[in-house]
Amino acid sequence: MVRDVNIYYYLKKPTLLFIILTLLLVVLLKLFDITTVDTLITLMSFISFAASLNIIMGFAGYVDFGHAVFIGISGYTYVLAVWYYSPLNALQHIGWGLGAFTLAVIAGLVSALVAGLVGFAVLKLRGAYFAIATLGLSFAALYIIKSTVPALEPTQFYAAEVILPYHAIIPKIYVFNAMLIATAFVLIANYVIRNSKFGVGLLAIKEDEDAAEDIGVPTVKYKILAYLLSAFFAGLVGALISLNRGGVDETAFSLAHSIDMIVMLVIGGLGSVFGTMLGAYIYYWLYDTLLVKFPGINLIILGIIVMLIVLFAPDGIVGLFKEYKIAGKRLRELLE
Amino acid sequence: MTGIISDLIINIVTGVIWGLIIGSSSIGLTELWGVMKVVNIAQGETLLIGAYTVIWLYTAFSLSPLLGIWISLIIGVLVGAAVYFALLHKLIGKVEILTLKTEMSTLLIMFALSIVLSNSYYYWIGSEPRGLGTWTLGTVSYIEIGNLTLRTNEIFAGVFAIVLVVLVHLFLTKTIIGKSIRAVMQDAQAASLVGVDPMKIKLLTSILGIGLTVFTGFLILLHEASITPEVAVKYAPIAFAVVVLGGLGSVMGTLVGGIVIGFVYGLTKVIISHVYPAVLSDPFALSTAFIILVLTLLFKPEGLFGRR
Repeated sequence: MVRDVNIYYYLKKPTLLFIILTLLLVVLLKLFDITTVDTLITLMSFISFAASLNIIMGFAGYVDFGHAVFIGISGYTYVLAVWYYSPLNALQHIGWGLGAFTLAVIAGLVSALVAGLVGFAVLKLRGAYFAIATLGLSFAALYIIKSTVPALEPTQFYAAEVILPYHAIIPKIYVFNAMLIATAFVLIANYVIRNSKFGVGLLAIKEDEDAAEDIGVPTVKYKILAYLLSAFFAGLVGALISLNRGGVDETAFSLAHSIDMIVMLVIGGLGSVFGTMLGAYIYYWLYDTLLVKFPGINLIILGIIVMLIVLFAPDGIVGLFKEYKIAGKRLRELLE
Repeated sequence: MTGIISDLIINIVTGVIWGLIIGSSSIGLTELWGVMKVVNIAQGETLLIGAYTVIWLYTAFSLSPLLGIWISLIIGVLVGAAVYFALLHKLIGKVEILTLKTEMSTLLIMFALSIVLSNSYYYWIGSEPRGLGTWTLGTVSYIEIGNLTLRTNEIFAGVFAIVLVVLVHLFLTKTIIGKSIRAVMQDAQAASLVGVDPMKIKLLTSILGIGLTVFTGFLILLHEASITPEVAVKYAPIAFAVVVLGGLGSVMGTLVGGIVIGFVYGLTKVIISHVYPAVLSDPFALSTAFIILVLTLLFKPEGLFGRR
């Protein structure tokens, strides 16, 4: 499945077009002031969080209930780095957001490092055991942060919340730019992985790990690499989210973030890059409109939708239309 | 010095009693997971069904919680059957050997159930704490032994937990239904060869697992004194730690796992509060349960009493 890098080949792929359209849409909405910068940042964070989890959960089939840990780790890394090292604070003010993006990449690398260390151990587990182990890790991290940070943090508020100092707050538009680069980065990485030998290896692991090992897929290496990348991208976006919020607290580690990401993937279709983006759009729309129309019961409706999808459309919305044909080609072939 | 020792005794005793409570409230989870390979992610919300039923019966009809728990058991049985027929039957009803993919679907569907239930609580019941007020078993609310003060409700919950676990253990080992449940847990195909209907057993396990979880929600209520929907988030992950440590499907193991986790919790709390007073001792002590969970999964995945 290794293919030559051929620009025309990629342009024929609707997924790539959809990635470009997504980015274009965000830029246009911003240019014409159709919606607020905050809304767009949230929308982009939804898309890129879902895409980051897609690498380990969608491609490799490992259900990760603790993905929020990487959001939290890089969030704290970013905020504390800005607090304690003024050169880093200066860095995030330069380049209309490029500096902030660079710093977020560093924070994401810290997340990836932790994922590498943890991954060696927990990726030995399979199925529900992996899911429960990551759930356990996320709660261990949550409670440890909640208990120890109040004793260490710079503002001495006796809470786990660390707020960015006033001189470290950068213009919203910088955050927007950084988030746009991050989103493009995550989506294109997803696409490239899906169409590489590595991605096919991950899909083989998802289908049958032992069989994949037998036919020569380096499963251990691939799984750890997938987990690292997944954690890196979640961390990258998580750091920018903390920057956008102006601080970070222990809720960055909470299960709610992992829930958001998993629900988006399940709605759209696990393992499909197109489905991931679709799921994020639908989730954001449900989250946004249902919140206005049915405050309080919006998440109940969301839960019921997830139930229906698991029962009747196990491959998500994309899975429903997989076998349809367009111009002699099955949609499945086009969407991957 | 005496301060530390009395602190140690108090925290370990209350920790172990809490361990008994979390142990017995996890037997439903261990049955569902062990027999059907269904991980009930909605464990915490299921517990709250029982707790809220008892509170509602007590506040609306002033029905004694001691009678209320039996009604909550009936509701639990109904919920168990409903969950089986509405959600699980389509996924695992006719499958004899579960693939990883089916296992993940059940995981996701229970997860969706937890989203629905927890938001229903926030919407219809609200996030303010609810409890039994001043209700206690008997006439005194506190019992003093030396300088150890314990709530009567808590002692009652501990005793109740032990009795319940022993009864369920006897049911599973002595009765023919219990034996068939264990047979399906060990080898569903072989069990169906000797005349056990796996579908019936799955329905029964679902009723037993969810029914017992709803029933033991009362114990969580007695320990916590007042309940908010937030409690589910605290207890569900702890239940996973207990079940994994005890060994899947092992009822006695679950009780022992609960005691171990409660003991470590109490001990850590004392050590932290005396050695590092700046660190919040309660959340830190809770984190030990999850460290135990991860370590068990890595080094002894079959748990203390499980079989590989």
